Amino acid sequence: MSAQLYIDDVAIGTEMPAVTRNASRAQLFLFSAATNNPHRIHYDREYAAEEGHPDVLVHGPLQGAWLHQYVAGWAGPLGRVAGLRWQNRGRAYPERDHVFRGRVTSVGEGGLVELEITEEDDTGQVLVPATATVRLPSKPTGEASA
Amino acid sequence: MAAGLVPDETRALVGQVLSEPVTATITAKESQRYALAADDLNPLYFDEEAAKGAGYRTLVVPPLFLGWALGPFRPITELRTDGLYKGGGRRVNLNVKRVMFGGEEWDFLAPIYAGDTITAETRLKALDEKDGSSGPFVLQSTETSYTNQHGETVARSRGLSIAR
Repeated sequence: MSAQLYIDDVAIGTEMPAVTRNASRAQLFLFSAATNNPHRIHYDREYAAEEGHPDVLVHGPLQGAWLHQYVAGWAGPLGRVAGLRWQNRGRAYPERDHVFRGRVTSVGEGGLVELEITEEDDTGQVLVPATATVRLPSKPTGEASA
Repeated sequence: MAAGLVPDETRALVGQVLSEPVTATITAKESQRYALAADDLNPLYFDEEAAKGAGYRTLVVPPLFLGWALGPFRPITELRTDGLYKGGGRRVNLNVKRVMFGGEEWDFLAPIYAGDTITAETRLKALDEKDGSSGPFVLQSTETSYTNQHGETVARSRGLSIAR
């Protein structure tokens, strides 16, 4: 895990390092099971075609989980994710890269930081636009500089 | 104008509880099973010392697992042909052809810990009729509040859908 991020480390416009996620078909099966989601579009390709999908789909909530991981990973163990808001706008497929990018849009009182985030597929289409609110810690006083 | 998509009896449901509150205790094992399925190896969910070192009381539950930890858990006979469960609770009847999932909004208000007993209650938050370029539609939002065994609201989620 990367070093802890502190409120003094960020400013409006600070970019979050991009992260790429890619789900195998086996992962889709495990996520369906762990969330008790029997919807066939996530494991039955023939049935997915009946609903007009060329392949099985990555769950919207798995992309939500990726989004939370992206924000929580950036904020570090002492950071706190206070809010997440997202829209699911397009289909996400297994065995394809999905890239998360984000930047700081506001830095407020008490270490509150607002983030604007996108998840794009491998054609550059934005599948999920999102915003997040995180609380970052202040650097402990007296800590030796790294 | 966008009139007639929301019947009066459906409009009357705004602010009402859509299904009875459900309660469940979230175990570390099921929380970790969710995290593993999401490929999330955050030590806060697996390593008690790491969680304590980050200021938590004990192992943390990935907060989005709240949406799944309380069910529905229903018999196989209640599955539709698409695999989804038949609707439970009060139906929000609209004069529309289809409803599309639009997104989610979450407020995380307090940590959720392995072993917490969580109660969830869902209300119909809003039905907003709009005029779009492809005709009238309804923005529907439901809000679920999650409360722990100490009576503390740990999270609120809003589910957004577009009906047209």
